[in-house]
Amino acid sequence: MRGVSVRSTAEILLVGIVLLVFLLSGCRQEASQDSDKEDRSGGEARPAFLQIGEFAVHRISANRTEVRDGAGRTLILIPRGAPVPDDCDPRHVVRTPVKRVAAYGYFDVAALRMLGVLDEVLVGVTVPEKEWARCSADVARGMREGRTAYLGDASSIDFERLKQMEPDLVLTWDPSSLPLLDDLHIPAVITSTPQATCLSARMRYVQFLAPFFGREKEADAYFARIDAALRDIRARTAGAGEQPKVMWGDIYEKRVMVEPGNAWVGELVGLAQSSYQFEDVFGTSCIEISVERFLYSGETADIFFTYRSRESGASSKEAIARLNPLIKDIAPLRSGRVFAPQPCYIQSMDKLDEILTEISAIIHPDLYPGYMLKYFDELPDRDTAHDKDTRS
Amino acid sequence: MRILARFWKALGSMNLTILLCLLLAADVVWGYAAIRWRTALFIPLNDLGLFAWMQTYGRHNLTYTGWFFALLVLLALLALNTASCTLERVRHVLAARSSLSVVRLAVKLGPHVMHAAVLVILLGYLASYLYTEVVVGTVLLPGRSYTLPGDAGVITFVEFRHEVYQGSRLKVFQGEVIRPEAAMMLSAKGRQREAILGFNQPVRLNGYSIHLSDFAPKKPGGMRLNKRIDLHIRKDPGVVLYLTGIGMFCLGLGLYMLDWRMYREVRQ
Repeated sequence: MRGVSVRSTAEILLVGIVLLVFLLSGCRQEASQDSDKEDRSGGEARPAFLQIGEFAVHRISANRTEVRDGAGRTLILIPRGAPVPDDCDPRHVVRTPVKRVAAYGYFDVAALRMLGVLDEVLVGVTVPEKEWARCSADVARGMREGRTAYLGDASSIDFERLKQMEPDLVLTWDPSSLPLLDDLHIPAVITSTPQATCLSARMRYVQFLAPFFGREKEADAYFARIDAALRDIRARTAGAGEQPKVMWGDIYEKRVMVEPGNAWVGELVGLAQSSYQFEDVFGTSCIEISVERFLYSGETADIFFTYRSRESGASSKEAIARLNPLIKDIAPLRSGRVFAPQPCYIQSMDKLDEILTEISAIIHPDLYPGYMLKYFDELPDRDTAHDKDTRS
Repeated sequence: MRILARFWKALGSMNLTILLCLLLAADVVWGYAAIRWRTALFIPLNDLGLFAWMQTYGRHNLTYTGWFFALLVLLALLALNTASCTLERVRHVLAARSSLSVVRLAVKLGPHVMHAAVLVILLGYLASYLYTEVVVGTVLLPGRSYTLPGDAGVITFVEFRHEVYQGSRLKVFQGEVIRPEAAMMLSAKGRQREAILGFNQPVRLNGYSIHLSDFAPKKPGGMRLNKRIDLHIRKDPGVVLYLTGIGMFCLGLGLYMLDWRMYREVRQ
């Protein structure tokens, strides 16, 4: 009886495995069929579905692409001139290629530059011209020539001005603008995500925006460039003997903010044969942690990247210690190295390959002899006379 | 017919149950690792629906999602195994009903009611993933309204009320909103009522449940963010099923304990 039962069990299990294989092979078959439907325009096959962190692009047909933005909303991209299907909410339809864009964040503006459409499409920004002049001459020129308008600070947008600029699309990190944009019948994409952007998503974000402008080739070329830089970093650092410990964050009025381990900087540090001190922290970018946790990690860290720039007071280790007496004893301030972003860092995400290489060069200076920093400043122990004069 | 009957009987084998449980345990270990490595792949499962997710995120990332497909097959087999086993034993109990009192018959069915409850709960989850209607990314500002799909009702965000942490023990939370509450006006079928929406405190209107997913500002007087609430709205037919399942499980457990209390102690 027992023998029969065991044999029967084996039969059932066999049926289960056959079902599983059938299901999976069915999926594979569908996937391969789907790949036949891939967009081969331009002679290059494109995946029908592309996941980019919390963003996604789903090419359903030549006349319909669905994208999922950072807030989980689905937008439907329909080519200009093609009919809008009945099942589409008109508020979520974006006509492609998009010709006029308002962008809230530096990163979105940089993404437009990566795609080679910035001069043609950017009609509104939330940062005044003088802030762009130093590192983003193209944006500043557009503002001077009247093609691009300053829409007001991101937290208090002048929606009348926005309406005058007649954008086809708004790229924003601020969900509170959605109801007002809905009223103006302007589709919007939320470009921030609840979780920090991982390295892969940071590299591929441009592939999420590409279908809006029909610039997939440019996006692929950009991704290939960043991928090549990463390969180079991996190859160069593979044999690195020492694994420096890195921390990235700062303290603002007793609130400690850091980049979590799932953020692109955390992943990059790990990839460059070094150790990220907040690898176990998971969540949103610039996440708040306790002072104790920060100090504990600071005891053994070798390198500290601060969010503050020289302009916001990070002119030397001494200045940082003065700003945040709580962290004056962490190892990088006493005996390690501290780096602050230069003003162009935040506006230069279109040069992500250079930024990644620079971070790797900072971590392993011996592997990059003669490297000149372009996006970060290494802070001296004490303020120079010039810094003191500027402060006074 | 005999083959089918034999197959059905074998499907209820205890050996198969144990094997399936072991396979399920191994599968969820794979699932744990996959979710940990690729969390973003599984977030859309909450709002896309099972089929749409399987056709997109699921089938394009089989290394990380294969465990989920395996889980569905294993759970389906476990459900069949449980159904076969339970029905077979219920048949035996009912066959002997003439020799049992009504109470004795009821308590003997207790464990089988619990097994049936598990099946109803599983069915509830399947219904949730297949048929739930979800609206994501709805943002309301004070004074603004949103009309539910199919004109099922209108929700209006009246005002934002919040409780701020004023203690001194947790300095990082000082001045932070620790209990956000949004006063809502719900209108449907010509009737209006007020409701308070908070975290873990959804409001319901005409079959829809409205959940608070985020809010701003987190700290009054902090960063200059506009007042807003982000909503996650869903109409989930599975809820009734798994609440029924939980009710059935409690009933079965009660009967089982009664059996243990009334009869087994006597036997001992």
